[in-house]
Amino acid sequence: MSNVTLFDVANGLATLLLTGLGSILPQPLHGWLINPNLIFALAATLFGAILLGASMINTIMLIWFERKMLGRFMDRRGAMHVGYAGLLQNFADGLKLFRKHTLRPREADSLGFYAGPTAYMVTSVLIFGILPISTGWSSGVLPLSLLLALAIFSFAPLFIFISAWSSNNKYSLLGGMRSAAQMIAYEVPILLAVVAVILVSGSFDLTTIVNLQQNYWFWGPLFLALLVFVVGMLAEMERIPFDLPEAEAELVEGWNTEYGGMLFAFFMLADYVRALVGSILVVLLFLGGWTLPSYVPSALTSFPLAGIFWFMLKTYIVFGVFVWIRASLPRVRTDQLLKVGWMRMIPLSLLSVVLAAMLVLVRCLPVFGCVPGLGG
Amino acid sequence: MATAEAAPPPKSSGENPILYVAKPLATAARQFMKSLIRPSTIVYPFERLEDPAFRDKVAVAAGKPIGVGHVWDNYRGVHALNIATCISCNLCAFSCPDLCIDMVTVPGGDPKHPKKCPQIDYGKCSYCGFCSDACPEGCLTMTTKYELATPKRSEMVYSPQKMNEIFERKLPMNPIRVERPSNEDAILLDVPLCIGCNACARDCPTQCITMLDIPKPTPKPGEKLPKRIWKEPVINDSDCVRCGTCISVCPKECLFWGTHT
Ligand code: SF4
Ligand code: SF4
Ligand code: SF4
Repeated sequence: MSNVTLFDVANGLATLLLTGLGSILPQPLHGWLINPNLIFALAATLFGAILLGASMINTIMLIWFERKMLGRFMDRRGAMHVGYAGLLQNFADGLKLFRKHTLRPREADSLGFYAGPTAYMVTSVLIFGILPISTGWSSGVLPLSLLLALAIFSFAPLFIFISAWSSNNKYSLLGGMRSAAQMIAYEVPILLAVVAVILVSGSFDLTTIVNLQQNYWFWGPLFLALLVFVVGMLAEMERIPFDLPEAEAELVEGWNTEYGGMLFAFFMLADYVRALVGSILVVLLFLGGWTLPSYVPSALTSFPLAGIFWFMLKTYIVFGVFVWIRASLPRVRTDQLLKVGWMRMIPLSLLSVVLAAMLVLVRCLPVFGCVPGLGG
Repeated sequence: MATAEAAPPPKSSGENPILYVAKPLATAARQFMKSLIRPSTIVYPFERLEDPAFRDKVAVAAGKPIGVGHVWDNYRGVHALNIATCISCNLCAFSCPDLCIDMVTVPGGDPKHPKKCPQIDYGKCSYCGFCSDACPEGCLTMTTKYELATPKRSEMVYSPQKMNEIFERKLPMNPIRVERPSNEDAILLDVPLCIGCNACARDCPTQCITMLDIPKPTPKPGEKLPKRIWKEPVINDSDCVRCGTCISVCPKECLFWGTHT
């Protein structure tokens, strides 16, 4: 695996930029420009910009991926005209939305109406700053990164509810209330499933969790937790079959009924950002992140950026499973959704916690043998 | 309702939560695998089923029912008009149930008899084929051309020249003709009413009406002769296409459909 980190790249770029600029400028400016603090500040900004750009491009590619895959599920082709195989279709769609006039209903509350989508977008993108992509490709060592990511992830219902409430539309409000109920119902099993992972790995740090999976991925021993986590994530991401908050057949467009133009694009993009984050979390927690099992030939893991490659591949496969579920299952009813959440998922997740605790007690895995790092 | 035994709810896979999830997943996966290489959807403007090269490429014809990937010759698409043989009889415009045919002047007629040919508004046309059926000369036919999409509504109106171009493309044509028994109906004249005005002869598209002189009777004393021209139309039945133009132009309504006795 390469040892170049994302910050190294940003730092190198910043140094190159500032020294290049400094060398052609006269002395006082030159001395002022070539200054470690300034270089650090620029590097940090570049770091953020690269992260933001990469996450946005990945999100948009994710939408393309979903459109193509859904097309195949429906025996058609999906986007195919703008760019090669429709790769640029979503950029074109985004441009179209960007050019549109944003309308606000007269009776809507303007603060909530505008702040809701913005905060939703910002908090969704913020999670990318926390998630490690590969060794070194993270914003630093955060001992509680898993908790922080999940905490930011669960801000969403608040902002959805704010924008739904301030839209002053009954469909928006219904969608917002459904969204809040659904997210609260599924937040609990998700966190309990994560507790199972935390118990086994003994750490709140995503990087540590992934490194522990060097020898065995957690999906095998913690299959129940994975199941609960995936179902919960589907509900958190508001994807079919749990897309009740924007059930088109009943609620027009749910909580974003009143939004158009760029604000709608914000919601749309943030939804997919959350889908990407959900897939990444599944990969990080259960599928070994950027690691590959040790029996894989080392040629597959030693090329430059191999970690990122395998990580993204896994992420897209997980997202593919989400799309598969979306293509297969019909939307459930609200009462069914809440019933499954409170009465099935929570007991299951509690069971998975118990299983994980037993695993830690035994300190051995049935198939993989006894592993020293288990249980922290 | 109260006394009736409640029927047990029908068993379906929807009751079994595993099947409820697993079965659709399996179905979707099967579909995905099937269309992974080539979805059945045809990318229409770029690929056409009736294009033989395309059909060979995807082997559509093999094992498919006859007619798949084929536009039949009797398809009722855009009309083709042979301006040269059109006799401006107006029958197509008469028979159109949607009133979408206008007779417009085309070059080639004499100043007294401007040549008029149908212009069709495809925004209204229902492709019933009545006009094609009515056309006595077989010059208005329907073709297999079915693509009319255009960015302007005015371009939906096809002038005779445009339909003539379609004719010259020699697409498979569908002259919708219902065989009519010959001489079953003919144009008859109610002699006492005729005033010999020449209107029918003037407007007959096939020029099959000749105005023949009739003897002017000598009036009896006190009797007033009707004010008229002493001529009477005679219709050459073999040339008449039974368009009815004469009937509609006759100011005295003395021409009518009838049967030769
Ligand atoms: S096909 Fe029917 S509707 Fe169309 S122009 Fe002919 S008579 Fe009129
Ligand atoms: S029916 Fe035929 S011949 Fe008569 S005007 Fe129409 S196109 Fe011409
Ligand atoms: S119906 Fe009358 S106008 Fe038409 S062709 Fe016959 S005689 Fe001429």
